[in-house]
Amino acid sequence: MLVRKLPLVRQNLLWTVWSRAESAPARRRYDVIVVGGGHAGTEAAAAAARVGAETLLITQKIATIGVLSCNPSLGGVGKGHLVREIDALDGLCGRAGDWAGVHFSILNRSKGPAVWGPRAQLDRDQYRQFIQSELLSTPRLTVLEGSVEELLVSQSNPNEPGHHRVTGICLVNETHPILSSSVVLTTGTFLSGSLFMGQTTTPGGRIGDAPSCSGLSHTLKETLGLRVGRLKTGTPPRIVKSSVDLSLVQVQSPDQQPTPFSFLNTQTRCKPEDQLPCYLTQTTPGVERVVRESLHLNCHVQQDSKGPRYCPSIESRVLRFPGRQHQVWLEPEGLTSDLLYPQGLSMTMPPDLQLRLLREIPALHRAEIRTPGYGVHYDFVCPTQLNPSLQVKSTQGLFLAGQINGTTGYEEAAAQGLWAGVNAARAALYMPPVVLSRTQSYIGVLIDDLVGRGVTEPYRMFTSRAEFRTSLRPDNADIRLTPRGFEEVGCVTLQRYKEAVRTRDGLQEGLAALKEVKMSSSRWREKLGNISLSESKSSTMNGLDLLQYKDVSFEMLAAIFPEQLSPYLQFSQRLNIEAVYRPHCEKQSREIGRILEEESLSLPSDLDYLSLPVSLSNEVRELLDRVRPNTLGAATRIPGMTPAAIIHLLYYVLRMKQRNKHTEHRNQLGQKEGSEIQLCANHIPISQ
Amino acid sequence: MFLSTSWGLWRSTFITLKTLSRLAPVRRLCIPTDAVCDAGTIFALSSGHGRCGVAVVRISGPASSLVLRNMAGLTQTLPPPRTALLRKITDPHTKELLDRGLVFWFPGPHSFTGEDSAEFHVHGGPAVITAVLQGLGSLKGVRPAEAGEFTRRAFHAGKLGLTEVEGLGDLIHAETEAQRRQALRQMDGELERLYKDWSSRLKRCLAHVEAFIDFSEDELIEEGVLNQVDRSVQRLQTEIENHLRDKRRGERLRSGVQVVITGVTNAGKSSLLNTLCQRPAAIVSPIAGTTRDVVETSLDIGGFPVLLSDTAGLRDGLDSVEKEGVRRARERVEQSDLTLVVVDSTQLPPDPQQVPAFLQGYLDSVLPKPSRGHPEEGTEAAADSVLLVLNKSDLVPEVQKERTERELRESLGLPPACFLSCHTTTGLGDFLTLLQSRVKTLCGDPLSGAPSLTQARHRAHLQQSVQALSLYHQYKNQDLALAAEGVRLALTHIGRITGRIWAEDILDIIFRDFCIGK
Repeated sequence: MLVRKLPLVRQNLLWTVWSRAESAPARRRYDVIVVGGGHAGTEAAAAAARVGAETLLITQKIATIGVLSCNPSLGGVGKGHLVREIDALDGLCGRAGDWAGVHFSILNRSKGPAVWGPRAQLDRDQYRQFIQSELLSTPRLTVLEGSVEELLVSQSNPNEPGHHRVTGICLVNETHPILSSSVVLTTGTFLSGSLFMGQTTTPGGRIGDAPSCSGLSHTLKETLGLRVGRLKTGTPPRIVKSSVDLSLVQVQSPDQQPTPFSFLNTQTRCKPEDQLPCYLTQTTPGVERVVRESLHLNCHVQQDSKGPRYCPSIESRVLRFPGRQHQVWLEPEGLTSDLLYPQGLSMTMPPDLQLRLLREIPALHRAEIRTPGYGVHYDFVCPTQLNPSLQVKSTQGLFLAGQINGTTGYEEAAAQGLWAGVNAARAALYMPPVVLSRTQSYIGVLIDDLVGRGVTEPYRMFTSRAEFRTSLRPDNADIRLTPRGFEEVGCVTLQRYKEAVRTRDGLQEGLAALKEVKMSSSRWREKLGNISLSESKSSTMNGLDLLQYKDVSFEMLAAIFPEQLSPYLQFSQRLNIEAVYRPHCEKQSREIGRILEEESLSLPSDLDYLSLPVSLSNEVRELLDRVRPNTLGAATRIPGMTPAAIIHLLYYVLRMKQRNKHTEHRNQLGQKEGSEIQLCANHIPISQ
Repeated sequence: MFLSTSWGLWRSTFITLKTLSRLAPVRRLCIPTDAVCDAGTIFALSSGHGRCGVAVVRISGPASSLVLRNMAGLTQTLPPPRTALLRKITDPHTKELLDRGLVFWFPGPHSFTGEDSAEFHVHGGPAVITAVLQGLGSLKGVRPAEAGEFTRRAFHAGKLGLTEVEGLGDLIHAETEAQRRQALRQMDGELERLYKDWSSRLKRCLAHVEAFIDFSEDELIEEGVLNQVDRSVQRLQTEIENHLRDKRRGERLRSGVQVVITGVTNAGKSSLLNTLCQRPAAIVSPIAGTTRDVVETSLDIGGFPVLLSDTAGLRDGLDSVEKEGVRRARERVEQSDLTLVVVDSTQLPPDPQQVPAFLQGYLDSVLPKPSRGHPEEGTEAAADSVLLVLNKSDLVPEVQKERTERELRESLGLPPACFLSCHTTTGLGDFLTLLQSRVKTLCGDPLSGAPSLTQARHRAHLQQSVQALSLYHQYKNQDLALAAEGVRLALTHIGRITGRIWAEDILDIIFRDFCIGK
């Protein structure tokens, strides 16, 4: 265990007195302990500290905090939505991406703002350095190097649901435990992880790092009785850039004007002209041949645990879709890095065969491998055992986030980390848990899918998972989440909050102003020139109506009505988007209202469904017992659930409510009523 | 307002209101009402299905007063609250009289749901009920209620006590998934296949649009995918629209099924008419050619309105009056929904094996040639709209009758045949059963199991589905996210008929159809 002060990487950063990396914990008791320093762990620790908890982050190596274990990129379609939301809640990864990005592009730009996917290639070193310096300068946050031997668990608090209560952790080679009210586990692929390359198998979660202690896995399975499953994933070999024949690849340029992830940034650190390109090439029949010939030497492929369907190894790609060309992206690893990352060529065969395979691709015919690709098998905890606050239902104070919950991807991990950190801190500070609705955010969709439906393969975010996609856009994540993050959750700084409120008010006023500028359609046609308006000549149209047309922009209208509209020019792009989407979002409000209603009725987490004195079929009882939904809304989304059962549950909840009220009344303890009914997210009307 | 006769699907919507003190806890649970603002106006048949004396149709929501104005002729003033009023109930658009019945007006908040509500108490025949429901569905902003929606509204308005909620289970159970499956089973197989086919095609469309949105940037998914979707959506839209346009069943219900009796002279056509309407509506005599003109009479068969016509016996007429009668008879047969071909069973060949060929020849001479009017319909369609009545069965030996029946059962291509004696009424029960089932099929069988309610709801969902698909066309070149929203909405509505579709179902198709690797 060594103490390391990290070098200051940003001049404008205030190196505060609270920041510290410790060799031995300064105190033996914390509010929150976060285990793991990946995307989930760093967001969790930072969020917990922001909420106000004394937080300890424990990681095997401080140097690997914020490491990008796999691809050097952030964001994309769906994932970019998550990054924007994490940023709206003051998380780290959006700002880190803006700091470390070397190639920015908005995917899906031609397909509508609701599905725009902000994405960036990252400089690995700079990303890591940003995250590290950010964490080490976060008040109330301590970072400690160490390996967790086991989780300390005691009898549960009888006033709350759950069979156990977490009390802290024990480090390897340490006699004294470190105590805490909450523990967030973000162990990634390290939970009983094993690495595969060719026919060799070694224990571990990432190449070059020591395996985690098996004690944690034992505690989860044996002591807490959690159901675990096994998943697999993999990473490609890293290629020496100078060995690639770049004359044989297609160059993919970034956007000329980079768009930052963070709502706080107006520009990225990387100058537009300094951005690096990506390269695109294709597999050949030779690649397929090598895969087939090496199958008997490839243990990972022969395992039958589930890997991600959308990020398959090259082996499973050619086996599932033989005879085709498959795309291979060669991505830069950073400004100074001499490596390229071949996206799409994750493989687990022996290293000599990996080289043979690469060289079957024309552009890579002289390629050299720096580090070979490998596969990982790891345990995950079936996430239906968690609450929407990401706390393990059976264990008070234990929170899980990231790959341990069966997800894949940096952004998915970071999103869960942030929310688990928030709730871990709130639990430690005696505040009630907070839940994000799926009607309000992709983070809500992610968590609701995980805890409500579980996973059968590594879970990745897609925009098609969000029913209210047209309302949950990357452009409005700040309006959707930042006010609540400040007012209710407490994880957002005042500065960001003020900015979000200013934006929200500006947009509302801008929309109102647009509604006020009215002219007959013939007058509009006159002013705007070659715009084909479908309205009849005499009808009056306002600015909002005009923005429904593809060729009309807010800037054009502001040029006609400078007095009324020019104050809102800074919001022009967002006003363009709002105007088009508003009618559709309003149509969704009924459905959203229904879901929010159902989500506002919570089901006690210790409900004994098998013996509940209401009329339910055995099938439904078992279903409910397995999934244990937190709210009536979550129950309705369980596949196989019947509406009859929902009504019976509703009845039960109400009856319990009434009974509790009577009891409270009798005991003259009526102060804390309604704790069981947790009012859901105060839905922010996007369109007012 | 407890209605004992309405012990059906919607029985628990007739629950007595409880005292306010019991409502307090419920009230506190409610989300502020602005979250559920655009709830729309809903209607449903509240009384049980099956034949009943009085049927209650309930309407709830802001447009309830509009309904009274448009369908009960209360254009000037609304009736006093909670008072029965006898009114003519008319179609809101055609103003055609549907029924005379009691009308109630329950202004909110003093109603079951807390909203403005109205009730129609109409006669319990399926034709009337269907006409009223269809009329309601044609009003803007008024739609069939979803499962348990009245109750849910009542609940959220704080109008429902706890004991009432307990009783809801059966209602909801009957009304939703179970009922949906049941309704699907009861639908004729063709319709079920049709809906399921639409649903799976829409699912594929959506999957391909979603694949293009979520993956096209990094994968080899080309714009060609979208062109295919364009074509599929267009085709689906046309198909569903055509399906919705087929209103013949609804019309039959309103104006009656046209049933025509035909056959050669002296087969007993007029006797059949008299037997069916249980009065001597037509003159009968042993003289061939007694009936010269068309004799019409209205009947209620199994709750369905039937217009029964007796026609002149078909033969090469002797005088011009009879010739005109025969021409009219043939014309009637061509226009009919169902033709009863009457055969004198004493004229059947004595060898039962020759009966099918004889009857085929008989049909050919009596019925209009299928090739002329509807070439595509052919004999199968004819078999659907024809019943063979082998009259005067009392004059045929029992043994021969049985052998003939066996022969007819095994012969293909002939319409169903039934031995009957108008004289002794032997075989009348079997014949009526057969006739009733045919009439029911022709009317769309609105009351089998889960009645016209289901049908009206299916119709509403199909309409909404078509509307949503037009959103796709509107936005496909402008904003693919909004275009996809159209397909998704369309699928949600079809899913209300054929079963819910989850995001995972769509992803499964994406991964099956595309090689996606990022």
